[in-house]
Amino acid sequence: MEHDRKALIGHTFAPCRCVLDEENVRDFRGVVGEDHRAMATAAGALLDGYERRVIPPSYAPLIALSSLLRTIDWEKDFALDYSTGTSMFGEQEMVYPRPLYVGETLSIVGTVLDVVEKRGKRPFDLVSIAVSATDEAGAVAFRGSMGFVLFK
Amino acid sequence: MTNRAKAWFDDVAAGTEIPPATYGPMDRSGYITTAIVLRDTNPLHLDRVYARERGMPDVVQQGPLNQAYLYRFLTDWLHRPWDLRSTRIRFVANVFPDDLLTCRGVVTRTWREHGEPLVACRIWQENQHGGQTLTGAATFTLPERS
Repeated sequence: MEHDRKALIGHTFAPCRCVLDEENVRDFRGVVGEDHRAMATAAGALLDGYERRVIPPSYAPLIALSSLLRTIDWEKDFALDYSTGTSMFGEQEMVYPRPLYVGETLSIVGTVLDVVEKRGKRPFDLVSIAVSATDEAGAVAFRGSMGFVLFK
Repeated sequence: MTNRAKAWFDDVAAGTEIPPATYGPMDRSGYITTAIVLRDTNPLHLDRVYARERGMPDVVQQGPLNQAYLYRFLTDWLHRPWDLRSTRIRFVANVFPDDLLTCRGVVTRTWREHGEPLVACRIWQENQHGGQTLTGAATFTLPERS
């Protein structure tokens, strides 16, 4: 019987604890060439009005995706072997109410917003997952949604 | 890359072009770092033979890495990186090692909200063949000269 991904609409996955750790941020900045002073040194951050060093905004979508990859059981939940490349990114929306800081810990939760069946060369589902990241005080650090094209 | 002076709210209006920026050639060694950060070791991004067996010319650069260059293009133009308020990005085409990525944008609207000067723009990314790899939109705040 074909797996009904629509049954997951409204489902919230387990929260994922995510530390914006120094090593990963540093290595990622090196790949992308993010060298703004507010990311590089505490003094540079203070000059720009930040309380401490910030991560590059370009790092935030990776955090969201990494958290989803850790909390979703793609095979059980979506009948998909994620490791074989049968998924693609769709549309992604992100809202940033405040800066994100190196070293802070976030709790990231994904909720399935919608599953729409489509037919191209191969049938596929467009899966939209809302993402919400809260800090240790419970305030929203960022929020958005991530779309995935999952082939059947 | 062109000289990309920082932006000021007074100087932009609908139709203003954001100075473009070109990044690359893309380096496959960065895909390993990205895989570690993402904790995603999909062989499509790391194993050339595996990728070619699936019809790709080479390993596929991770989508979030493509997107990171479009973010950098925008936030480098801002005075402070977290003056970025929101993004909407659509993944259009794959990026491969040695590709050159040129990021472009056009301001679509300026306005004030609760006293804060805000700017909306359309942004996109092209490869060296002129094919779009990402399209989208963003909002951000800019300081005023006065």
